[in-house]
Amino acid sequence: MIIGDENDLREQLDRAFGPVTPSPAPIEGAVRRGKAIRGRRRAGAVASLAVAAAAVAVAVPLSQHATRAASPASGHYTATVHVPSPNAPAGAIAYGTINGQWWELVASQPGTDGAGRGQQLVTASGAAFGSSGLADVEPPFAPDPSSPVALTGLQSGTTQCQFGAVAADVSYVTVRLGNGIVLTLHPVTVFGVRVVAFAAPAGAEIVSATAYSAHGEIAAAIPFNDPIGGASFGLWLKPGQRQPARFSGRVGSGTFDGKAWSATAYVGPWGLCVVDRGGGGVSGSSCVPVLAGLGTSVMFWTAGTPEVASGSAAAQVTRLVVTQPDGTTTQVRPVQVGAQKFFAFAMSAGHKKVRWAAYDSSGHLVASSTLIPDAGVSG
Amino acid sequence: MHAELDAEFRKFMHARWPVMVRLAYALTGDQGHAEDVAQTAFARAYASWPRVSRAGNPEAYVRRIVVNENLNRFRKHRVAERLTGTLPESSIPDATRTSDDRSALIAALQQLGPRQRAVVVLRYWLDLSETEVATALGCSVGTVKSQASRALASLRQSADLVDGGAK
Repeated sequence: MIIGDENDLREQLDRAFGPVTPSPAPIEGAVRRGKAIRGRRRAGAVASLAVAAAAVAVAVPLSQHATRAASPASGHYTATVHVPSPNAPAGAIAYGTINGQWWELVASQPGTDGAGRGQQLVTASGAAFGSSGLADVEPPFAPDPSSPVALTGLQSGTTQCQFGAVAADVSYVTVRLGNGIVLTLHPVTVFGVRVVAFAAPAGAEIVSATAYSAHGEIAAAIPFNDPIGGASFGLWLKPGQRQPARFSGRVGSGTFDGKAWSATAYVGPWGLCVVDRGGGGVSGSSCVPVLAGLGTSVMFWTAGTPEVASGSAAAQVTRLVVTQPDGTTTQVRPVQVGAQKFFAFAMSAGHKKVRWAAYDSSGHLVASSTLIPDAGVSG
Repeated sequence: MHAELDAEFRKFMHARWPVMVRLAYALTGDQGHAEDVAQTAFARAYASWPRVSRAGNPEAYVRRIVVNENLNRFRKHRVAERLTGTLPESSIPDATRTSDDRSALIAALQQLGPRQRAVVVLRYWLDLSETEVATALGCSVGTVKSQASRALASLRQSADLVDGGAK
């Protein structure tokens, strides 16, 4: 074989690689790994916030949802939840029905089934979750020392579910749904950790959850029911403890490349939550179980065109400068909602770094970082 | 992900899987690695499928990941797979001329740097424009031109092609 010119090279490449016959397309494997990647991105964004928040307050982000908005569920639905049968596979947490459609939630052993070290794959399946089900990678189940139940959410277009570890003294948990149904969750031991789970229609209001020991009520939580149809549990209040006041406010809005975007913060008994609305109707939300005291960091950013990034700002921050990949800069003013300042800005998708820097009234740099839209990482 | 988008991804992967495996094979020189790289690329595309699909050119997206995955793989194994002037073992002749040609061409391509190899495969086999190759590699059109020219010169001189393949 001799390659003389470009045409020879084309011919030889075609002859060599054209007849290669690959194995059948491993579609299920790619889908499973893709879901795990999506989960890791979410966990990574949450972790970056946790690092920033820890410097100012002991706060762990609760959850993030990024999806298209679900239609609010009407009050006419049924929901049940049961502990797995003794013959259920290892990792089974709970099963039940929504409007008669079956669902099941199963966890894999930490570090297996595509989950990395220090992660655990959780899979929701059954007709209630649609043909492809849902999967997410989360930190392995572990009781939260600051609350009796550490609930995390997953959501499809039609169904949401919550699951998490419970403290040693929790005997059972009740969940009150918006149409009056009360679900009773009994902990089961999964890979050495006691956990509970339930499911409800996406968009259905989840009014509260209450944890009980053998001696009575331990604590209750009022979740944030976000506009995209999922619930985020945050603060747990002991019996008799006063509910925090509720505030909400638009922390950013505008148009970017001709498309409208906005971000709204909600403060209340759930903690702090921000809801972003980017292009194409794609929305996302993120919550932190504190009422104030967060430092300056980007909390999360949502997919879409444009992508929308939201963050918390320390009290001394008076302005931020956002530098887009093309070098254009935007001034952003933080907005106070309740006792916490927030900020938001839009950026174009495309794997190119967007830099932000926060300054105080004297022009001193308070914090800065870069984001990489699409990649779900900050640098 | 919505059921329609999920179905769309599955259809896309079914249709483009062979092309991406062949591309990865040309880049990696190993079919096992190629299928790993291609599956990783499709998995990453699935993870961002709503946006990838909306952008309108999912094939370019997956292709770019395949190229980058191979570059990353090379970087990760830079020490273990240090390039040398001569291969430690000569390829075993296959029974068919196609396999002989493929082995010789793979050996010659492996002598190129990973970026030059990517330029050769994208430009001369997939017939992408210089601009498209630059986009896939994240470099300038000028870099594509110079890398292509150097790669072609190297392949013309390659002992693997002169001595190893069917002539």
